[in-house]
Amino acid sequence: MEALVPGLTAIGKSLAYGLAAIGSSIGIGVIGGKTVEAMARQPEMAGKLQTTMFIAIAFTEALALLGFVLTFLL
Amino acid sequence: MSTANPLELLPGKIEELVHELAVLPYDDMHYSGAVTDPTVLTNYVVWGLASLVAVMLAFILVANRERKQMRLATETGDATALAPAGRFVGMIEAGVEFIRGMATDVIGAKDGPRFVPLLGTFFFMILTSNFFGLFPAGKAWGGAFGGAVALALISWLVFVWVGFAKNGAFGYLKSLIPAGVREMNVFARVGLGSFLFLLEFISTFLIRPLTLSVRLFANLYAGHVILGVFTAFIALFWPVFEPGLKATVGGVGAGLVALVFLVIMYAFEVFVAIIQAYVFTILTAVYIQSSVHASEH
Repeated sequence: MEALVPGLTAIGKSLAYGLAAIGSSIGIGVIGGKTVEAMARQPEMAGKLQTTMFIAIAFTEALALLGFVLTFLL
Repeated sequence: MSTANPLELLPGKIEELVHELAVLPYDDMHYSGAVTDPTVLTNYVVWGLASLVAVMLAFILVANRERKQMRLATETGDATALAPAGRFVGMIEAGVEFIRGMATDVIGAKDGPRFVPLLGTFFFMILTSNFFGLFPAGKAWGGAFGGAVALALISWLVFVWVGFAKNGAFGYLKSLIPAGVREMNVFARVGLGSFLFLLEFISTFLIRPLTLSVRLFANLYAGHVILGVFTAFIALFWPVFEPGLKATVGGVGAGLVALVFLVIMYAFEVFVAIIQAYVFTILTAVYIQSSVHASEH
């Protein structure tokens, strides 16, 4: 049993980050896609949309980053 | 050793890499364990100070140059003397214009200009130190968790202070409850209001600085680890770097693939360095904006 601990810890760490990344990656994909749609519709708003997109990505990204930190804490 | 599978050496390389990225005294690379003495100059502090000096030198030189041009222009009445002198001055000017535009766009034309020095310092300092972190053996200030926390704490102090100074202690805390809830009946105000207050309090005062610091640290640290792993692959597969190994076609090919990926990832890390400096700055601006206009929410 003892011999399994390092391997299982490694799997657990990878899963913690991998699962945390799923939601964020879907969210960032939606944000990016919608921003491209909006830019195509109104190119003159591109600058403002880009700023808003980066802010939205920064908020969405936060949860994946918590998973990343958890990977190191485990 | 010569018959060993190169991949068996990888865990050792990774350990070396993590040690390389740790906070160590700058003159003792073989130090083991955490540095607890605050008077010890660590490698991250040395590189952070280097980026600070670089930014200060650049701005002092550019400011002197511009002052000279200004004097020349007023003496001769020739406005063409005000044109940016060379690429470097033009680059710095464009950067300052960018920060000023960000401050007025996000915070507002009235309150924005006050925060241009703060936002500019954040942007140029983080950008320069991120680039320094991309040098071989270089360290990015935000690549150590303590460094990222220090930056986030400055941002936190500023937006909390602005919130209290602009709205008063009671006004700022009251603004944490959404305006719609404040107009409901007394039961909703007490029940929903206290719950939302707690939620907003945690998100504003705890989660904001946490994500601000973790975002910077995690992006840089992950980037450095990725670059390090591809470098370790090359070192493992090419006998030039690992004399015990036998040169095989497969090994050299795998090293070549790793080299191509290393170059691609390096370019991506340059992009990340710029984006993270930008995101940190614009999020600070957004947080300051939410504090300045707290009473309107």
